[in-house]
Amino acid sequence: MKAPFSKYLTEIAPALKSMAASLMEEYEYVSVLSTDSVGFMARVSQRAKSIRGRTMTTERGTVVRVLKDGLYSEYAFNEFDPGRAEEMAEEIRKGLRDQTELMKSSGVKPYETEALSDESAELFVEMETGSLPEECDFDELLKKLTSISDEAVKLDERVIDCPITAQSTHVSKLFFTKNRDLRQSYVYSEAALMPVARGNGRSEMSYAGISGRKGPELFDELRAKVSYAVKAVGDQLTADRVTPGEYEVITSPEITGLIAHEAFGHGVEMDMFVKGRALGADYIGKRVGSDLVTMHEGANCAVNVTSYAFDDEGTLSGDVTEIDRGILKGGICDALAAKRLGTQPTGNGKRENFEHKVYTRMTNTVFDSGESSLKEMIESISYGYLLEGMDSGMEDPKHWGIQCMLLRGYEIRDGKLTGKVVSPVCMTGYVPDLLGSISMVSRDRMIFGNGGCGKGHKEWVKVADGGPYLKCRARLG
Amino acid sequence: MDMEIKKLIDLIGQTSADAWEITEVKTHGWEFYFIRHRLDQNRLVRTTHTTVRIFRKIEDGKLLGSASEEIPPTASDEEALRILHALSERAGFVRNPAYTLLDPGEETALSGDAGSKTALPGASGSETAPSKGSGAEGGSVKNESSVSDIARNFIGTMEEIPESADADLNSYEIFANVREVHFVNSNGIDKVETYPDSMLEAVVNARDKGREIELYRICHMGSCDRENLTAELVNAMRFGRDRLKALPMPKLEKIPVLFTTSDAKEICRFFTDRMSASFKAQGYSDFEVGTPLFGGQMESRVTVEAVKSLPNSSCNRGFDAEGALRRDAVLIREGVPEQFLGDRQFSSYLGLKNSFMPGNYRLSGGTYSEEELRKGDYLEAVEFSDFQVDALSGNLAGEIRLAYWHHGKEVTPVTGGSISATLLEAGKTMKLTRALRQYDNMEIPAAIRLEDVSVTGVDDKTE
Repeated sequence: MKAPFSKYLTEIAPALKSMAASLMEEYEYVSVLSTDSVGFMARVSQRAKSIRGRTMTTERGTVVRVLKDGLYSEYAFNEFDPGRAEEMAEEIRKGLRDQTELMKSSGVKPYETEALSDESAELFVEMETGSLPEECDFDELLKKLTSISDEAVKLDERVIDCPITAQSTHVSKLFFTKNRDLRQSYVYSEAALMPVARGNGRSEMSYAGISGRKGPELFDELRAKVSYAVKAVGDQLTADRVTPGEYEVITSPEITGLIAHEAFGHGVEMDMFVKGRALGADYIGKRVGSDLVTMHEGANCAVNVTSYAFDDEGTLSGDVTEIDRGILKGGICDALAAKRLGTQPTGNGKRENFEHKVYTRMTNTVFDSGESSLKEMIESISYGYLLEGMDSGMEDPKHWGIQCMLLRGYEIRDGKLTGKVVSPVCMTGYVPDLLGSISMVSRDRMIFGNGGCGKGHKEWVKVADGGPYLKCRARLG
Repeated sequence: MDMEIKKLIDLIGQTSADAWEITEVKTHGWEFYFIRHRLDQNRLVRTTHTTVRIFRKIEDGKLLGSASEEIPPTASDEEALRILHALSERAGFVRNPAYTLLDPGEETALSGDAGSKTALPGASGSETAPSKGSGAEGGSVKNESSVSDIARNFIGTMEEIPESADADLNSYEIFANVREVHFVNSNGIDKVETYPDSMLEAVVNARDKGREIELYRICHMGSCDRENLTAELVNAMRFGRDRLKALPMPKLEKIPVLFTTSDAKEICRFFTDRMSASFKAQGYSDFEVGTPLFGGQMESRVTVEAVKSLPNSSCNRGFDAEGALRRDAVLIREGVPEQFLGDRQFSSYLGLKNSFMPGNYRLSGGTYSEEELRKGDYLEAVEFSDFQVDALSGNLAGEIRLAYWHHGKEVTPVTGGSISATLLEAGKTMKLTRALRQYDNMEIPAAIRLEDVSVTGVDDKTE
């Protein structure tokens, strides 16, 4: 079925256009993004359950972007009466005039930027989905999640709980300027189970997730993750600490995705180039990884939670080859940063929601597959670890450091897994060294869209990342 | 009570709800984004978010279900009623052991302690004038009356940050917000308060011949705190200059680590998270009331308190998300857990009375001077990529961007590598200073020392 575009947005669109027309009399450029995204998050544990009609991306509101005298300004609001479009335009003008007065009295000078291009375009996309979050049977869903949680607890007596979250969002977005009218709707869902175990004087939690540009029917795939997640948390309970040092490692696809995200995801967000905050700007055309490293980024290069048709600035989605056989080819860019850098936007201008500013943000960030099998990769290692279980990561685009907090490392000795586990694992390194050390890449590839990504420590958006198994050298602690 | 809330209450009456809560948050925000003191963009945010939570009794009241969702201010009566009916239906599937919503009668017993400086309307639900700038209570910060005043002070402060050829501000983002929260429930609780909630993000550069590095800061506060903000950014520039001189982290294996910056908050969160009612009721915390932490082995016997107000905290709110009065309360006294605190549901499961969700915390109990904690060889970690402490496992770790390696009489700036330990062990020998320092909503020891922390050096190699 098609994910239907919001009736509410369809109804208010003419009034919003009337408001924008009024603003165009004063401003050199006017764009409007209006959103109406609904969804839910259901949570089940052994001790409590909840349903909230809220996810990371549910929202209803409008943001107007205007340009005057080289300065871009925005006004975000969520109260709009279609019968009072002119009054809303006047409120926007007055609010921004008040801010201008403050800036003038404070002696603030603008970072002057030209008007964004406004090429004519029309788009109406209702993407396919199996079902809608609005039509979910919550009685059945909670029973299903409860039975999965119960199954996890029964599998291992050390497991004291297995919280599960399942969320689904039906996104509708309307973007228009004088010459553009873009409308899209799609549904994405994600779920995760997190067994909590106690034993050996310790408490641990593991994690397994599923995601996709699908409706709540996705949740049927969750049960298959139970045994993996329960075994993983049991492994963590009996794990040793890793002896700090540099090792040959194999990264599982979710760790590979974390490296992609932290290394040359954030590293080539080109709004950071404008501020001189990314080393990547000086390395375009230069080697940053081994010949085996090819990496793509874009809403079009995979189908997952952030595979949209256009971004929050009305740029159509793309597929950027960031690294081609080890050579850094280019980055991703929002429209304003592109205007300032004299390049083209790539469809990566994203907002946390209508209340937030646009930044250059990732969508799907993935390593290409290679020629090896996981078995061959393990057999090639004399002493090292197979790394699994992503916890978190942190970027450092200015200095190309990378920090990945991981849950487990499985020891490899003389080409075989020994059964010894280390946990937790803090993997750090210098990005070109890490990518340069990649010596084997597996044929398979997986993409993960659970969780969110911040810019610094704020501005949370949905992203997906992944890739194949990689063999490389990394510092573990 | 405003018309929109009254209308919602009427609509809820048309559903099968047994109880309800309504939370309305109005935000007026002014935002300014700078690149090297040039204005990249200015933004104005005016929003109203109204969230309704519907409760349904199940099995004759043995169970209580709930479901919540935002009712957009643009929703028609028909749309709002459709959402409310859906919430009522969903709530019937959420089979949780019963608990109760906050009742005005519960607060009568606490009235002697209800000296919140925020305006609290009577149980009748009458309209009360919101207070102004509660975030500035008790501090030296000017009590600004409007979001424009807060923004003006931020802009002025940032213009006057002392910069130099070798250290300056790359970019910064100012978020000045004034919020009004209105909470109403079906038991007659009706409370309103207004408070400032601001944030500044700054990127500091330091450079020498041909090399430039950056440090990142994000500072939450009520309104603009010129003095502390300036001190924080000047200190960041000092760290930046030192990072340029830093050597790769040597192979130290195990060494005491001293935390003297905001990363120490993460260590304190280990204790506050483990004393939360939800963490305890779900079986994730093994802390027990009356049982000394770490088997009674504690070098510094920590005291953890919920604090109603801290100077210019962004969390100085008179009541929590369920309307409960916030007050001063001891969670851990001298290393012995005294009471868990949290939301209505999990507090009820633990049998807690007069519980609430704290906004501010204080962790104290140190008996050392900073000089005493700086004895012997140690690593003073001041900048991490992302320092984390997992409250469940007690594991802590982080990649170091700058640390000072104190060895003998020398102090060497070092960078790279990482530290790791578990607080379940390190907590036993953890040492705290007597002196405290505030980071927004947490007042914590000025320095915390952990012994025997594992360090991965940049040059550590295995076979």
